[in-house]
Amino acid sequence: MAPEQIIATLKTLVDDGKVLTDPSDLDTYGKDWTKIYPPKPIAIVFPKTTEQVQALVRFANEQHIGLVPSGGRTGLSAGAVATNGEIVVAFDYMNQVLDFSASDRTVVCQAGVITEQLQNFAEEQGLYYPVDFASAGSSQLGGNLSTNAGGIKVIRYGMSRDWVLGLKVVTGKGDILELNKGLEKNNTGYDLRHLFIGAEGTLGFITEATMKLCRKPDNLTVLVLGLADLTNTMDVLQAFQKKLDLTAYEFFSHQAMGHVLAHGHVQAPFETETPFYALLEFEAVSDQVMDDAMALFEQCVENGWVLDGVISQSETQAHNLWQLRERISESIAPRTPYKNDISVVVSKVPDFLREIDAVVNQHYPDFEIIWFGHIGDGNLHLNILKPEDMPKEEFFGQCEQVNKWVFEIVQRHQGSVSAEHGVGLVKKDYLQYTRSPAEIAYLRAIKAAFDPNNIMNPGKVIDPA
Amino acid sequence: MKVLVAVKRVIDYNVKVRVKPDNSGVDLANVKMAMNPFCEIAVEEAVRLKEKGVATEIVVVSIGPKACQEQIRTALALGADRGIHIETDAEVQSLEAAKLLKAVVDKEEPKLVILGKQSIDTDNNQTGQMLAALAGMGQGTFASEVVVDGDKVNVTREVDGGLMTVALNLPAVVTTDLRLNEPRYASLPNIMKAKKKPLDTTTPADLGVDVAVRLTTLKVEAPATRQAGIKVADVAELVDKLKNEAKVI
Ligand SMILES: Cc1cc2nc3c(=O)[nH]c(=O)nc-3n(C[C@H](O)[C@H](O)[C@H](O)COP(=O)(O)OP(=O)(O)OC[C@H]3O[C@@H](n4cnc5c(N)ncnc54)[C@H](O)[C@@H]3O)c2cc1C
Repeated sequence: MAPEQIIATLKTLVDDGKVLTDPSDLDTYGKDWTKIYPPKPIAIVFPKTTEQVQALVRFANEQHIGLVPSGGRTGLSAGAVATNGEIVVAFDYMNQVLDFSASDRTVVCQAGVITEQLQNFAEEQGLYYPVDFASAGSSQLGGNLSTNAGGIKVIRYGMSRDWVLGLKVVTGKGDILELNKGLEKNNTGYDLRHLFIGAEGTLGFITEATMKLCRKPDNLTVLVLGLADLTNTMDVLQAFQKKLDLTAYEFFSHQAMGHVLAHGHVQAPFETETPFYALLEFEAVSDQVMDDAMALFEQCVENGWVLDGVISQSETQAHNLWQLRERISESIAPRTPYKNDISVVVSKVPDFLREIDAVVNQHYPDFEIIWFGHIGDGNLHLNILKPEDMPKEEFFGQCEQVNKWVFEIVQRHQGSVSAEHGVGLVKKDYLQYTRSPAEIAYLRAIKAAFDPNNIMNPGKVIDPA
Repeated sequence: MKVLVAVKRVIDYNVKVRVKPDNSGVDLANVKMAMNPFCEIAVEEAVRLKEKGVATEIVVVSIGPKACQEQIRTALALGADRGIHIETDAEVQSLEAAKLLKAVVDKEEPKLVILGKQSIDTDNNQTGQMLAALAGMGQGTFASEVVVDGDKVNVTREVDGGLMTVALNLPAVVTTDLRLNEPRYASLPNIMKAKKKPLDTTTPADLGVDVAVRLTTLKVEAPATRQAGIKVADVAELVDKLKNEAKVI
């Protein structure tokens, strides 16, 4: 079919005005946050119903055209990227909260519901949706589930996966499936729901999700501590976890904070300069908890792990302290960072950090390295900043050479080359550091079962057998 | 030079308040409370004066229930030297607050009294002015800069269309505006030290002030919810709607 014919047909499959082909729209909707790969989609379509999505899938199968699911396009792995004449299927108009049950504490959302919209909806019901991260104001539930997004509350509340009780999907074959139907307990064979979560749109489309909500945490209080040394992050974590249930444990380097402060509107926590900082959050439900936190702080100071610290005295201060962590990505974005999102089990973090530190110092002596991450989950975001005068290609070329060293350490510690951002195009070549050849063969078999014609997000995560 | 700072415990700025179903006020049950943001600025200014060697002692005072001591402790952690808690569970309105503060001023004889320009719960913007009148002191309200110069204080005020600087003889009353400074966080070591700083408790009766309410609130209502916007197809429709529906052009 000629491109004009394809576009003409697409217009019959979705509502009026819901097919865009303007070059600026193709550019905007053809890429995610990575902005590395030049976008080249043929058209952008905005379905409004699951049936329209199904019609698009059937059409793509007939014509053997690739479909790229697109959510809030905040993904960091080049999953929602169309470089090869695909049709981008964007969920911006499937953004309704469809149903809420107070007694089940569940909410049914269309895939295009913005993460923050779900958080706010929960709050209006006196409940809480705990998955949260800096891009929550733009990312969509469909994107969150397709990347199994983690974020800043994983230490207490788990990943996006843990909050899904049901999914409505359209498979790459064009079938509409209702998976798990909101049930808390349902042991009836393979749980297909969990295959779609984290699939990055390679098996089919998520069009609706039934999400679980929970009790709103009480009086969330934030501590920011100045650490004497990188490995003290784990000493402090262990000390606090013995007494308190943390709702977050993040760390970042002095350089990371420097970028946030230079970006503006955020205040340093204290004057003492320390090489690393930890941000802890917990529910300060009683004076006892506060006294415990104070005593733990004193103990950390006595052990020489912590040099200074502050505690939020209000929600406003808690919010402001979080900005020190939440704004890192945004503040370094102008420097075209090369992002690593790696993880190991928590007990291996100290050795892991030491080895990574040695390798990056040896191989990146001239690059500025920014350390931060959800270190309480064993997850490190290691960002390498591009020198202002170096061309992008040369910079990414050099980073890719060092990747081998970094990923070998990850592999040796049985860690992950992508803890929460997914694989997409960016980490596809490194999958074998985390997944065995036998495992990858099973992944391909699953892909073939749901998407035999390879129309769903072709080229992402794995290539078909 | 002794500086007196007044701080108020209010609903946290970040909390979305809810009106009680009977419209008698806002719901305070289980709501996070914090120091009024303008009072934080007042404390910060006093601490900066002390760091510059201008102030020698900072006394912080708060009026309200027992829990106000949390906000006094915060001020002590930020750098105030001692606290005075005027304990009362009654509702205290601006004039009564000013009278109570006047009684403290009489006792403490500070050279400078710093207050927030208003509290974010009742938004009255009166207490500082009333206190100045009762105590017979000059007032520099809406301060964006405070410079003590011998026995005078120069206060730059944010007024419509620009800045106005007034020179006041000490003792004087200053109320803070948003841009005066950026308050620091209370550090954990200072919070621990603050636990040992003196905090005296007194009552309106001890100070000889009657705090009976003079104003009654008739009704508290939530602001009207905003109507959803509409999309227009083209400029012609927009102009038509602005002319004939909104009647703004
Ligand atoms: C500042 C910043 C901070 C971030 N912090 C975190 C963090 O802390 N933790 C974390 O995990 N991630 C983080 N991310 C990454 C990203 O925001 C999340 O992964 C988010 O979940 C992506 O959602 P999205 O809607 O933007 O997805 P997109 O980028 O639009 O898409 C992501 C993937 O999902 C697929 N997809 C989208 N919608 C559907 C659908 N309906 N059906 C099937 N497939 C679909 C896409 O094809 C793509 O492969 C951050 C990103 C930024 C920019």
